[in-house]
Formats: sequence, C-alpha cells, structure tokens
Amino acid sequence: MKITPPRKEIERYLGYRGFTADDTVAPVIDEVVEELGKNLQPKSVHKVFDIEKLTDKEISFAGLNIGSEGLAKNLSGCDKVVMAAFTIGHGIDQLIRRYEKTNILKAACFQAAGAAFVEEYCDMVNEQIRCYAQATGHGIKPRFSPGYGDLALDLQKDFERILGMSKTCGIALTDSCLMIPSKSVTAFIGMYPLDSGIPESTCGSCEDCSLAGNCSFSK
Amino acid sequence: MRNLTDRLGSEWLFCDGGAGTFLQDKGLAGGVLPETWNIDNPDAITDLYRSYFQAGADIVNANTFGANVLKFGDDLEKIIKAGVDLAVKARLDTGRCDAYIALDMGSTGKLLEPMGDLSFDEAYDIFARSVRAGVDAGVDLILIETMSDLYETKAAVLAAKENSDLPVIVTCVYDTEGRMLTGGTVEAAVALLEGLGVDALGINCSLAPVDMYPVVERLVAASSLPVVVNPNAGLPVVENGKTVFTVGPEEFVEQMISIAKLGVNVVGGCCGTTPAHIKLLKDTVSKMPFIPVAAKNDCVVSSGAASVTIGGGRGTVVIGERINPTGKKRFKEALRENDIDYIVGEGIRQEDQGADILDVNVGLPEIDEPAMMERVVKELQSVTNLPLQIDTTDIKALERALRIYNGKPMINSVNGKTENIEQVMPLVAKYGGVLVGLCLDEDGIPTTSDGRIKVANKILKAADKYGIPRKDIVIDGLCMTISSDTSSAVTTLETVRRATEELHCNTVLGVSNISFGLPAREIVNSNFLTMAILSGLSSAIINPGCEPMMQALTSSNALLDRDPQCMKFINRNGNYIPYAKLVAGEAQAAAGSTDTAANTQQTQGAKDSLFECVKRGLKDGSAKAAKEALATRDSLTVINEELIPALDVVGKGFEAGTVFLPQLLMSADAAKAAFDVIKASMAGENQEIKGRIILATVKGDIHDIGKNIVKVMLENYGYEVIDLGKDVPPEVIVAKAVEEDIKLVGLSALMTTTVVNMEETIKQLKVAKPDCKTVVGGAVLTQEYADMIGADHYAKDAMATVRYADEVFGQ
Repeated sequence: MKITPPRKEIERYLGYRGFTADDTVAPVIDEVVEELGKNLQPKSVHKVFDIEKLTDKEISFAGLNIGSEGLAKNLSGCDKVVMAAFTIGHGIDQLIRRYEKTNILKAACFQAAGAAFVEEYCDMVNEQIRCYAQATGHGIKPRFSPGYGDLALDLQKDFERILGMSKTCGIALTDSCLMIPSKSVTAFIGMYPLDSGIPESTCGSCEDCSLAGNCSFSK
Repeated sequence: MRNLTDRLGSEWLFCDGGAGTFLQDKGLAGGVLPETWNIDNPDAITDLYRSYFQAGADIVNANTFGANVLKFGDDLEKIIKAGVDLAVKARLDTGRCDAYIALDMGSTGKLLEPMGDLSFDEAYDIFARSVRAGVDAGVDLILIETMSDLYETKAAVLAAKENSDLPVIVTCVYDTEGRMLTGGTVEAAVALLEGLGVDALGINCSLAPVDMYPVVERLVAASSLPVVVNPNAGLPVVENGKTVFTVGPEEFVEQMISIAKLGVNVVGGCCGTTPAHIKLLKDTVSKMPFIPVAAKNDCVVSSGAASVTIGGGRGTVVIGERINPTGKKRFKEALRENDIDYIVGEGIRQEDQGADILDVNVGLPEIDEPAMMERVVKELQSVTNLPLQIDTTDIKALERALRIYNGKPMINSVNGKTENIEQVMPLVAKYGGVLVGLCLDEDGIPTTSDGRIKVANKILKAADKYGIPRKDIVIDGLCMTISSDTSSAVTTLETVRRATEELHCNTVLGVSNISFGLPAREIVNSNFLTMAILSGLSSAIINPGCEPMMQALTSSNALLDRDPQCMKFINRNGNYIPYAKLVAGEAQAAAGSTDTAANTQQTQGAKDSLFECVKRGLKDGSAKAAKEALATRDSLTVINEELIPALDVVGKGFEAGTVFLPQLLMSADAAKAAFDVIKASMAGENQEIKGRIILATVKGDIHDIGKNIVKVMLENYGYEVIDLGKDVPPEVIVAKAVEEDIKLVGLSALMTTTVVNMEETIKQLKVAKPDCKTVVGGAVLTQEYADMIGADHYAKDAMATVRYADEVFGQ
C-alpha cells in the first residue's frame, strides 16, 4: 500500500498559507518524503458495532455509553459504528527525535509530513471501510476522534480494550492517553443506511472543532 | 518429571494452542479480562487446561498472559495462584505428570522509554512481581510471549532470571519481513536473547505457519538455541460480528510439516488454534525426524532494531571513535556541562559518515561516569539504530550501561589481568555482549606477538569458564606508535594474523595510535589499516569522518572480496575526484580569482558573509563563514554584528508573514552551525549569556518538537536554555527553578487534558518562586487559556517567545 499524501497538505502543516514552498525548502520536503517513505509501517484495525441507543447527547454501543453532543451529532442517522485505529509506525518518531538534534528544519518537515502521511493512510483505509459499508447498504460519516470537540480523550482506553491496538498495531497509550507512535489515529466512523436519504459527506468540518478560529492549520 | 532444559533441543516438544477463542466459545465477553475467569469461572479454565493436556501438549500455559500489576493491582497474586492451581489439578486429573506448566507473560501493553512513557526499571518491576507470584504458585517455567518490542522483552527476561531459577522461553511477534512492531529484526532478537541466556526462543502469533516460513528460516539460521514456533490459525476474519480463524487442523498441520523440517524444536499454536490442532500436530510431527540444534558461529552485536555481524568473511566493520573526550577540549566541555545534544550529535554524524557501531566513552575524572554513561547510551539509542560499544574502565558504569542497553552491545574491554577478568566477565556472562580482549596483563604489554597471543589465550580460557562463547570475544592486538618503537606495527600485524588463523577469533584495533607523534598521521594510519585488514582485522575503531581511512577500508574490503558487487565501495566513492584533478582545480580557481581580484573578492565577500549565510539558511556556508570571520574579529563582534542582525531580519520577516516557518528554521540551523564553530573557538572561556531559561513540556505530554524549536531560537538569541524535556512533573520544574534561581520558565502543552498540569506548574511556581515569570505555548493554547491558567505571557510561536524573553531580561 503506497501512501502519497498531497504535497500541499505537508506545506499546510508547515504553516504555508496561500503559498508553496520555495526552492530552498522544497528539496528538503522531497528528501523528507523519500526518507519517511522508507520508514513506514502502516497498520490498522477496526471493528463494527450496532448502535444500541442514540439521542442528541448520548450514544451506546459495544458496551460503551458515551456522553458527547459532538459525536451524537456526527452519528445522527447511523445504525452502526466502526471503531478504528490507524498508525504509520514508530519510524517517524525516531526520525523526528534524530533531526531535532541536528537539523530542526528537517525535524519540522518530518513532523508535517508524518501528519499528512497518517491522514492519507486513514483516508485510504476509510475507502476500504466505505466499500465494506456499501456492501451492506450503508454510507459512512467523517471520522470523529477522542479529544475532538467534547469527546473525551479517556475513550482511548476503550479503543485499546476493544481493539487490542497495542497488540495488533503497536499503538500504546501513555498514562495521559496519548498514543505512541505519535502519528496514530483512533476514530469512530458512523454507518448510516443509504436509503435513509442522508447526504454523503467526505470531509470533517472545521466548524465542529473546539479550536475553530484559533487554529493555524485550518483549511 | 524430567528436567525441561535437558529435553529442550534434544526431542520434539509441543506447546498448547489458543485460549481466547476457546474461552469466547464458553461465553467470555469481549472486553472482559480472561484472567478474571481463574476465579470467576474456574470450570471453563479447567476445561481449557484439560483439553490441551489431553491433546498432548508438553507445555501448557497458565491463564496468566495479561496478569500484571497494571491490570490487576493487588489482586495479581491471587489471580496467578488461582490460574496455576487449576492447571496443576488439571495435569493431575489428566495423568500428564510429564507435562510442564508455564507462567505465561505477555507485554505490559505500554511502550518503554524513549518511545513511550514506561521506564525500563518500571517495566522490570511489573514483570518481576508477576514472576515472583508465578514461582510461589509453583510453575515449571516462564514463557514470555507475543512480545513486539525488544527492550520490553529484555526487561521481562531479566525479571524472570533474577527472580526465579526456572527455564525461560521467549517468543516474539514478527511480520512477514521478520520485523517486530518497534523495528527489531529476527537477528537482533536472537543476539539479545542468546546474550541474556534464555533457554529457547522463537516466534508466535500474528501469522499462519505458511507466512512464517521465511522468518522461521532466519530464526533457525541465526539461533544456537532451540527454536519455538507457535503460529496462528491464519488471519482473523470477522463473520457475523464474531472473530474467527479460518485455518483448520489439517491445513494447519500440513503447513507446520514444512516448518518442522526447517530444524525447529518446539511447536504449538497461538490465536485460533484449538486442542484439535495441537493433537493432530503432535500425532504428525512427533513421527518426523528431530533435528538437534546446531551452534552458530557468527559474532553479532545488536541494538533494539538492527544487528551487525563481525567477521565470517564480511567486510571489516567500522567502529566510530569520536564519542570520546581523550584529547578533545570541546567534548570535555560538553561532558562537564551536560551538553548531551553535542555528544549525541557526534554519534549521528558518524552514522552518516558510515560507522557500523559507535564506541561510547564518557570517562572524565570530575563527572559521575555511571550516570553520564546511562544517559548518553539512552539518548543515543533514541536517535540511532547502530549498536554501541560500551567503552569504560569504570565497572559501575559498565554494569549500568549493560543493564539499560537495548540489545547486545560490544564491550571495550577486558584485559588479561585476573582482577579485571573477575570484574568484567561475570557482567558479560549475565547481560550478553561481544567483549574486546586486550592483549595485556599484570606484566604489561608484551612486546612480541608470542606474548600477546598468550594473553589472548588466557582471556579465551577465562571466557570459557564464565560461559561466554568464543565467538563473542574479539581480540585487540594493541597498536603502539612506531615513533617510539619502529617494530611495533609488525608485532601488531602479526598478532592480528595469528589471532585470526590460530585462535579463530575476530579482531579489533584502535588504529590511529600507530602513528602517534608522527606528522601526516592519516597517511600512516590508512596504510596501516590496509595492512591490518589483509592480516585479518575484522573490525577497526576509527574516525569515519577521516576520508583516507574510509578509502583504505572500503577499497580493502572490495579487493578482498568482502564487498558483494563492490556496491559499498561504489556507493561511497562514486563521486570521487582524483587527487591530480583536485589540485589542478584548486590551482585554476586560485588563478581565476587573481584575474579580477578586487571585483570578485567584493561580490564573494558579500555573498559568503556570515550575515548572508544565516539569512539564507546555508548551514555549511555559515560554519565556514564563521570560521573565516573569527580569523579577523573576536567572537562577540561576530555574534553581534553578523549573527544576531541576520536572525533579526528573518525573525521580523516571520512576524510580518513574509517568511514561513521552514525558512525561519533553516536560518536557525545555519546560525546554530555558526554558533558551534564560535563555541568551539571559545571552549574554556567564559561566554556571555543574556539569561537562563527553563523549558519543559508539561507532565502528560510527550510531543515536544514545538518546545525544541523554541529552544533552538532562544539559544541562537544568546539565552542559556535548561531543557527539562517532556512529560515533566510540576515539582521537577519548580525545584529546578528554585535551585538555579531562574527568572523565566517556558511551558509547552499539546492537549487540553494536559493544560491542567501547566496550570498546576504555574500555581506551584508562584508560591515557590514568585519572581519567576512564565510563558506558555503549544497547539491548544490561546490567549484566553493562558489568562485562565495564570500564565504571565502567551507566546503564539518561537519568535514571540524570544521577544518576551528579551522583555523579561531587559534587552
């Protein structure tokens, strides 16, 4: 599975807005993309659950009872939900640590490229999930992750318990529920019946985010 | 019951199969910890054990895979005891008193530092507690399985061996490329586990037997220990919401027949395999010819992710010598000032220059060497996968390094003195390692090769006594300068030849000593290296940044047929410019510049000025320009008239939005390169600093690139940064601020959930050190947030932090 994130995504993570990298920085990004490409270990795991209860601020499935208006809104109209975990592996973290010591520009480029790579990888797996969902007459909603909006970060522990992601993907949690490798993602992906008339959406909206208006990476 | 260690490797033995699927069929709900059933559903667990004893398994796992203190707290001992008791009873009931019960230990589920937040010692304690509980409960062996990180595996093995006398078997999870989740390879794992003295090793979980085949091939090729193979019944698929494994007993066993023929010694199953799989496996494989384990002769050193093999017809291995204070003013200063970045930077540079292994010597009389050794080893291993050579005469530093080292290191060194042997060899026997044996003893350095070979023999005999295999001894024939004894190189070369041919040992030399006191040392050194390689030298401690040495080494390796297709030589020397051409080119350039001397000098001067180089972010150019500037001006003038103004131009551009972060960082790196040059020229002198600032990423946060960018910027602007790292508890920050009388503390946080720790730090600081200001930043911070938690200042980026520091320190 070859992951090639759009170049402009890497530049966006580097803080370029409305510009592209000039010819002093562009070759550095090229080098970084190439080196990162050799150090990827993408892995993912997901499971599908029936939604047992869904109100405008509470959702129950897989033995979980989650209070979150954001997730409830995201899942409205869904009868199933996917719990998924994705990572591009440990290589990126060592590369960032290494270049922080010798070349801070490259470290920042790896940071940006890593973010773009894991997003792209999520999108690729997402497409597989979309195909699976279609086969059962479902469409899928945008990914919604713990820590986003009012969705508690503590839910990471449930992802570990339910998906066993440390064993299957090598994603471990710190005491504060951060994921290692750093370029990892956990997410809920809602599945709604295609005949329910819900319009298909592909991209999450910045408006739903708690950082709206304060984020230097907004699209 | 016959001794398990006697049977391992001399007859077929069979492990049990999967437990999870068996228990799910009995009603174990997803998310419920299986070990709780040792108490809550003992009938189901007894059933599981009985089924596997009856199926013929010789090693049955107690239901303790996830039984650690993190999951069970103080119930741990009870859970383990209950699980083992049921197994003992099931063994009795099924009449299988020939079979063994294993304490089954899996991963803690946490990642160890530097990747994660669990320290090596904490991991050790977690495993040790489970081991002691298992021993008390009466298990027959310890099976450490499904490990996906070598460092955690080392902690588990040490815990098992130091808290029990039981046999220890270790199986890890590999992908089809033979890599573990954190990067460890089959060969690196074998090196580590052999070094630690486990009783058998192998692979389990994740793959079906057919997919494991190439990985098992590598395991058998590398291991001198019995090999264990416990595959899954294929890959899990979800059918009607239930996880099932698709490879049935017949297909499983058919695939296992090929595996059994590879020379493995213990077979069983993992996820999805059932008692039926194991029964058929035993019925079939026990009738196949058993292949005893063959000892392998490779001399392997490893890190957590890679291994290097010395000798055996391979090219001479490069051991980088630069991490060593001997004769290096700047390095000594870095050691005294705890400037770990400088030391680690030397390691990264040598890797880029072609080192295979890095020698690590941090010995200085006035520092705490064991503490420094531990820190440098950990820091190096967080940024490089090269194996390390622990180089110390301080036994405490050696032991500490061997314990926390991730892999099987090289150790420099032991000598022929009885006292030294008695100190060093027990440590190497315990932790594993490739040991350099110096050919000197109580009588000094023998002046003849006869004398040196005699000492080498003494070292080999002693190693044998301590159980260190001969393949793990590398003989150092000792280089003494030819400037004091012109026959000394001949003696060294002869020692290398005889150690290779007569003792069948690998060899090493600290090559550059040969020319001490002579001019043009690299000419002597590189020619001597060529001769030594021809005499059999299998590893050389050299400076990989010294081109003539690397030329001698790469061409010797190619000439002696130790470089397949000459690829290494070609890769390194493809752009080589012949000497004559180089000289001619330089002459031409010199002639050219005199033609239009005034003109060229002017434009070139402008183009290559330090100011321009920093502004344009030219790293190499900056270092060069700084060197040139220092020839005519003092360091302060260079800093104030060139460096700082250049940084300011870029910084202002960044603030105005005309310069983007990457360019700011390029300039920062270029300025840093210039500062390194200036600092080296000032080594030992007092350097003027604008102020001292603590930076830390707060407790709970492990991502610190933002903080590191701020650090680089502040240092460039003349501040001394005390970098406390990431995941730093409030108390540590406050204590340091008080101890060092700090006026400004910068805190970074990435997650909303960790901002509370930022707030707590600020609160404690205000009490303990009211005159200390705080500046905060990080992904989730905003001005409102900063105000809410009582920070003195919010900095939206690195430049804003610099500006605030200037304000605080009245610049």
